[in-house]
Amino acid sequence: MTKRRLFLELENCIGCRSCLAACTQCGGHEQRNRNYVYDVNPLVNRQTMPLMCLHCVDPACARSCPAQAIQIHETGAVLSALTEKCIGCQNCTIACPYGIPKFDEEQNLMYKCDLCIDRTKDDIPPMCASVCPSNTLQWLTEEEIEEKQQRHDLGNDKWVTSMPYLEGETNVKINLPGILEGTTKLF
Amino acid sequence: MQKDKFFRDIDNVTHPNERLVKTHCSYCGMQCGMNLRVNTKTNKIIGVEPRYDWPVTVGKMCPKGVTAYQQTNHKDRILKPLIRDDASLKGTQKGFREASWDEAYDLIAKKFSELQTNYGKDSLSVFSGVSMTNEKCYLTGKFARVALGTRYIDYNGRFCMASAAGGFLRTFGVDRGSTLPWTDIHETDCLFIAGSNTAECHPTSMFRVWAVQERGGYLIVADPRETPIARRADVHLDLRPGTDLALANGILHLLIKNGYTDEAFIKQHTNGFEETKEVVKDLTPEHTSFITGVSVEKIERAAEIYGKAPNAIVMFARGVEQQHKGVDNVSAYCNMALVTGKIGRPKAGVATFTGQGNGQGGREHGQKSDLLPGYRKITDPKAVEYVSKVWGISPEEMPKPGVSAYEMFELMNDKTIRGLYLLCSNPAVSAPNLNVVRKALKGLDFMVCADFFLSESAEFADVVLPSVTWSEDEGTVTNLEGRIIKINKAQEPLGESKPDWQIQVELAERLGKGKHFSHLHTASDVADEFRLASKGGNADYYGATWDKIDKQDGVFWPCKDEEDEGTPHMFHDKKFYHPDEKAKICALPYRPPAEEPDEEYPMRLTTGRVVYHYLSGNQTRRIPFLKDMCPEPYVEVHPHTAAQYNIQHDEVVRLYTRRGESNYKVKITEAIREDTVFVPYHFGHEESINLLTIAALDPMSRMPEYKVCAAQVEKLN
Repeated sequence: MTKRRLFLELENCIGCRSCLAACTQCGGHEQRNRNYVYDVNPLVNRQTMPLMCLHCVDPACARSCPAQAIQIHETGAVLSALTEKCIGCQNCTIACPYGIPKFDEEQNLMYKCDLCIDRTKDDIPPMCASVCPSNTLQWLTEEEIEEKQQRHDLGNDKWVTSMPYLEGETNVKINLPGILEGTTKLF
Repeated sequence: MQKDKFFRDIDNVTHPNERLVKTHCSYCGMQCGMNLRVNTKTNKIIGVEPRYDWPVTVGKMCPKGVTAYQQTNHKDRILKPLIRDDASLKGTQKGFREASWDEAYDLIAKKFSELQTNYGKDSLSVFSGVSMTNEKCYLTGKFARVALGTRYIDYNGRFCMASAAGGFLRTFGVDRGSTLPWTDIHETDCLFIAGSNTAECHPTSMFRVWAVQERGGYLIVADPRETPIARRADVHLDLRPGTDLALANGILHLLIKNGYTDEAFIKQHTNGFEETKEVVKDLTPEHTSFITGVSVEKIERAAEIYGKAPNAIVMFARGVEQQHKGVDNVSAYCNMALVTGKIGRPKAGVATFTGQGNGQGGREHGQKSDLLPGYRKITDPKAVEYVSKVWGISPEEMPKPGVSAYEMFELMNDKTIRGLYLLCSNPAVSAPNLNVVRKALKGLDFMVCADFFLSESAEFADVVLPSVTWSEDEGTVTNLEGRIIKINKAQEPLGESKPDWQIQVELAERLGKGKHFSHLHTASDVADEFRLASKGGNADYYGATWDKIDKQDGVFWPCKDEEDEGTPHMFHDKKFYHPDEKAKICALPYRPPAEEPDEEYPMRLTTGRVVYHYLSGNQTRRIPFLKDMCPEPYVEVHPHTAAQYNIQHDEVVRLYTRRGESNYKVKITEAIREDTVFVPYHFGHEESINLLTIAALDPMSRMPEYKVCAAQVEKLN
């Protein structure tokens, strides 16, 4: 089976938050959405961007968990804390460089994006990328991602929209805003 | 069919004890494909799963679409007919009691008959909508004319698509919202989009729009606000609200002056070029800039890009259409495609973004005051003869044309109209100049409202009939491409609710008109009669059987017979629908908005949608996620303007016009013109911005000028 990854093209975001609405529709998500969409500079323009779990290869959330409640799936997806193991210490919410894990005060449990593991284990796109109307969130093969990242690397030492990784290596790949900088116009 | 680069073969996830029902969204004209998740034990709709194999939207949905299923089993559903005996409580939610269908039907039949006996056939009216299937839209027209025998029927398309329809009819002789399928959009070289906040109003078009830019193509957006789509445009034409006609003429001026015209196309396939050339002669970039407020450089650049583009699509929406010159705006933007010959082939043409789910189909088959099924004119004796035969009445019995939606409220206020059957619409929020409209509803002798939630308009009714949501019935709708698609039933009607077509059949029987309706037992029965009624008209659906729609992933009208596969691309043979087969390039002198700013009212007020809500908000304001994201209206103000008025972000201010006032929280943003304020229109009661809007009607389409009027802001305390 072709292995696909979640790919974020932040420039495309239109702020509709369909990804958040759809997140609740994944069977394993108990109707709670697990990611974020931010207004970048709301008093100035309408730019928005999603902040999704990047599924780090060496995830700080899992490393910081004293109860080993955060498991890593064989696909690389960093799963939500096992409810029977989570002790509600919130270390993970502090350790994550992107502020992804959320905390349920009532149940005293963390919860986070599990990349819709019951879908993505079979290479079916996660709910967020399935519905995203602007293709900000896409479900792509390694080759497709490579092609996109090369296209967006201008090689002029001035503007590179795709970097190998941000804080550390992640399973989810990102193109930062600026993807059109290197586009050759048709006419 | 039409599997493009976005199409992937993806399996759906089916959870245990669930089945999936293929259908489409209940909301806008995109009609995104979706699967409804149905619990096989309770047989209730419990969620949504993407429909990856729908070629137009490939699984994508906006937040309204994702949560649309939450309407069906919502706690606010009306489950039984409601009757209010105390008319003094009209305009409130108070005084309703549950009743049986029999009691409700008896009361309606009695009151309707009394009114018609005392005041004539035309004392009754029907006000309808187009967020429902073709079958329902068709039968509503027949119900008004055959069961009630009244001339007064019109619908909320007058507030939505009427100007696009008028413009297309004048220019092309036919009104199909898009000359090409949506699967062409990402392959064109230039999109010229005017007056469409596409990212919020038709979000699932956006992956195709962005793909144009990714390929190196151009995006030009005309909008007074820097909307999410305008933010990324190659050229953002930030015009003053209400000046589109000058902008379109100014661009036409440059296309002609700079030699981008296709002389052979103009000569062979169009009329009116010379007169038009004369009219746009004065619209130099400088003069256009003076009227529109857009810089000369931007106007010149936009014309150059559109002129040079090998293929281009001109698209527009309510921004240009909801003006008292909306029809002229539409024809003026269509002129761009005609003078350059960029129409009648793949990847080039014009399209409007249809606002309502069935805004296209619903305007074609006889809900409009002057139309009969198949887009036939009720003033055409041959049309009347044909449709009368299908309906089993004599041509003499066919009522004459009525008046447009807003004008019906004026006739209510002068007591020409005394009774109303309202369905699928919420004019107490969506009509302009609401103080007049609400007074009209309150003053009616008798009003029936069919809806699945108790809307602000239902608050004026004497009887409320519980209708079903889109997911509890089946039928066809026609999406914004002109593609006839199938809505499927996923659940039995909740409580005692019934589909509108069934209500009309049963009501017609009570009114003694059963012989024209009683043979319609199912939605499919209505579909068969409707296809026959449309046969031979411009919007011919005769060949669009439900089987063919299923097999072909939809059928583009016209589709005349069993063998006809439909017409995805219009005018492919360069034949337009006027008698001489030529399109009309229209000479349209500029005229300003009905109400220009002055000292007393110095701001331009414009209105529109947000991504989280649909139309009057009667549906979406009840969905928790959407309500959380946008719980209340606000007024967008530029920071420079806010400084002049000494108002802050989040401060509540009074906004008022010559017609009404309301208080709104201020949202400061640089993404709007300094001379313009914007308020979303999805909110009811005292929050409705339509208390302030103007009912200046387009002379042809009778569309109100929602998009611009003069307003003033006042700091409170």
